[in-house]
Amino acid sequence: MNMLKLNETPLRTARNFKINNIKLENVEIPKKIEKFDNVNIINDNNNVSIKNIKNDVNIKYGVGEILINQINEKSNVNLEINIMGKNNENIILNFELDSKNKNLIDNINIVAKENSISNVIIKYTSKDDEVFHNGICNVIAEKNSKINITIVNLINDVSNNFYTINNIIKEDASVNYRIIDFGGKNSISNYYSNISDRASNNVDTIYIGDKEKVLDINYIAELYGKASKINMNVEGALNDYAKKNFKGTIDFKSGCAKSIGSETEYCILLSDNVRAKSLPMLLCGEEDVEGEHSAAAGKVDAKQLFYIMSRGFSYNDALKLIIRARFNKVIKKLDEDLKNIIIEEIDRRLK
Amino acid sequence: MRRKTYLDEINTNIYDIKNKDNYEYKAKKGLSKEIIEEISKQKNEVQWMRDFRLKALEMYNKLELPTWGPSLDELDMSEIATYVRPKGNMTNNWDDVPEDIKSTFDALGIPEAEKRSLAGVGAQYDSEVVYHSMKDELIKQGVIYTDMETALRDYEDIVKEHFMKCVPISDHKFVALHGAVWSGGSFVYVPKGVDVKIPLQSYFRLNSPESGQFEHTLIIVDEGARLHFIEGCSAPKYNKINLHAGCVELFVKKNAYLRYSTIENWSKNMLNLNTKKAIVEENGQIDWVTGSFGSKISMLYPMSILNGKGAKTEFTGISFAGKGQNLDTGFKVVHNAPNTSSVVNSKSISKNGGIATYRSLVQIMPRAKNSKCSVSCESLMLDSLSKSDTIPVNDIRTEEVEFSHEAKIGKISDKTIFYLMSRGLSEEEAKSMIVRGFAYPISKELPVEYAVEMNNLINLELEGSIG
Repeated sequence: MNMLKLNETPLRTARNFKINNIKLENVEIPKKIEKFDNVNIINDNNNVSIKNIKNDVNIKYGVGEILINQINEKSNVNLEINIMGKNNENIILNFELDSKNKNLIDNINIVAKENSISNVIIKYTSKDDEVFHNGICNVIAEKNSKINITIVNLINDVSNNFYTINNIIKEDASVNYRIIDFGGKNSISNYYSNISDRASNNVDTIYIGDKEKVLDINYIAELYGKASKINMNVEGALNDYAKKNFKGTIDFKSGCAKSIGSETEYCILLSDNVRAKSLPMLLCGEEDVEGEHSAAAGKVDAKQLFYIMSRGFSYNDALKLIIRARFNKVIKKLDEDLKNIIIEEIDRRLK
Repeated sequence: MRRKTYLDEINTNIYDIKNKDNYEYKAKKGLSKEIIEEISKQKNEVQWMRDFRLKALEMYNKLELPTWGPSLDELDMSEIATYVRPKGNMTNNWDDVPEDIKSTFDALGIPEAEKRSLAGVGAQYDSEVVYHSMKDELIKQGVIYTDMETALRDYEDIVKEHFMKCVPISDHKFVALHGAVWSGGSFVYVPKGVDVKIPLQSYFRLNSPESGQFEHTLIIVDEGARLHFIEGCSAPKYNKINLHAGCVELFVKKNAYLRYSTIENWSKNMLNLNTKKAIVEENGQIDWVTGSFGSKISMLYPMSILNGKGAKTEFTGISFAGKGQNLDTGFKVVHNAPNTSSVVNSKSISKNGGIATYRSLVQIMPRAKNSKCSVSCESLMLDSLSKSDTIPVNDIRTEEVEFSHEAKIGKISDKTIFYLMSRGLSEEEAKSMIVRGFAYPISKELPVEYAVEMNNLINLELEGSIG
């Protein structure tokens, strides 16, 4: 089996820092891709059309060439979602992988038309069998559109999850992501935004790494437009022998005057055997901008734990409460059903 | 139309004094086994050092150029003379230094600084040290401060035990190059419990065009001892590339303290590919204070390896990248023992097309329980021709740790200018004050003469309004 080299950073740093990319051994990329039937689509909006149309993937970054090629050549779910007007109901795509639907190669294209408003929820779950997921969510947010997208990865712990998100955000548009990255033995995600004048992009991500999970999160935002905004906020917890790389890049391109970019990452360490790496990059080719980043890591604050435990909670419940609180920025925005699923999942993983 | 306020390029007049290329011996350009053997022969070295040089050359030929950072395409080793021995021998009397060399160091203010505020001075011109002296009371206390060639002759065992052990030749291509062609530099040994209250300073001057300087600095601060060491460097500007690939190895023993200050003002044709590393033992501390102003390209990342319980390090650095400069600088720290701590405070200013990059590594190893690390970096861009990047890598391998990193990038705030102007300052004064204030956390860590010098280097030319 070949070594997979994925998720290259937009700018390299020293090779011996071992963060320019992620190398995975013993990952088999399935060659034969069967039909995938287990997708449930819910759309009660009159202004939204969802069609089985395949769009070629032609993007700047992505998880890796080999996986993008697989999507172009072998995708087994191809959706084109066109959104117009104001839509009150969530557009929901539920994918469930199981023994009959073992490989999901999904190519989702979303076009949020001018002045449209929408909420999209994409959820990936699986039964216990080893499955394989490689997907892309390609979004074009046209002028003055507003779209909120929630992506939930709850794939089981023996499977591989590869995910690419690519956004073209046009003038005055607003694209807000909530990403819940809990699943997969290896979960490798790549996020890219191209941001135009006065457009804004928020990404709030929560992750949990446990057992021997490998998480490699590579977020890149390029600000081209004047007065554009990017805000990346990533919160996570690592337990057991998990390894996490967070690579966040905010790139202020020449001409993006008055733009603002911020990225924060906080990683709670729950075991002495975890490994947490971060590379929060700020690249700046424009003088008149405000950019900042911060990264922090540490164990749960002992004073907080003591306070909660003095109110009668067990150590474990106090721990869960603190982690839930850190994740609340994302959780509180979820619908009640999804919120309960996520809270249950947090509790299950932090047993 | 709005006008912008422009900052002057750093004034390098003092540093730009060019002497005639008046050497006693200059190696042929390029790099070969024969050239290395000839350098070693010229220096009349012991066999193990000659063998070491050849091994380093082999390593140099094996290793690749970095695949990251500024492009080094301009560097053509076949056009660089790696060893230039100036006329005259090393002396401890400035009057015995050849006149043209002495006048250069006079202009740089080195003899005057020695009289005023230093406990000892070493001065290197091209590849060899031309002057070395230290106050008698330190000699009586057993402090050794001499050039590396003398150290290799007189303290061979200590040199052999430490030479390129902290920075092995396999680290990267330019360390291997250094191992092959090193010449000059300083050796300092501070015995147990001795507190060297006044700094020692070595100054490195490269005069010869199309040449390299590869000085080696080896400092051992023994248990409970204290030292402040200052390193200065400069060169006049030539049209062709010069190369600096020095190496600094610092050994800070149990309960010892070392402050290593550098003011680097190489000319704008210099590729500055220097390597500096410190190994710190139990409760020892190394503090780095660094000002990077010169060179065409710099790739410089001092490193602290905190090997002993309770070891500490602080890094305080500023870089100023002007027209045609690409300064890729930063810091690396490895926490390799419990209760270690590090504090990093880095600032950069870029203007007129200059590129300033902060690149770093923080590594907290599994055994480094209860360690703490705090990193702060700020970048100030003075126009949109320039570029400023922050590329920090943080690698945390234990739960029992407090780690934080923060960085900011931006321009001088219009609101701050407005505030200061509302207090009666002119716009020029306001901007000048802000830039000096930005640099103040670094300049306050420097000896006063260097702080004044740094403020002079950040020379403001004030016109027009804020853009």
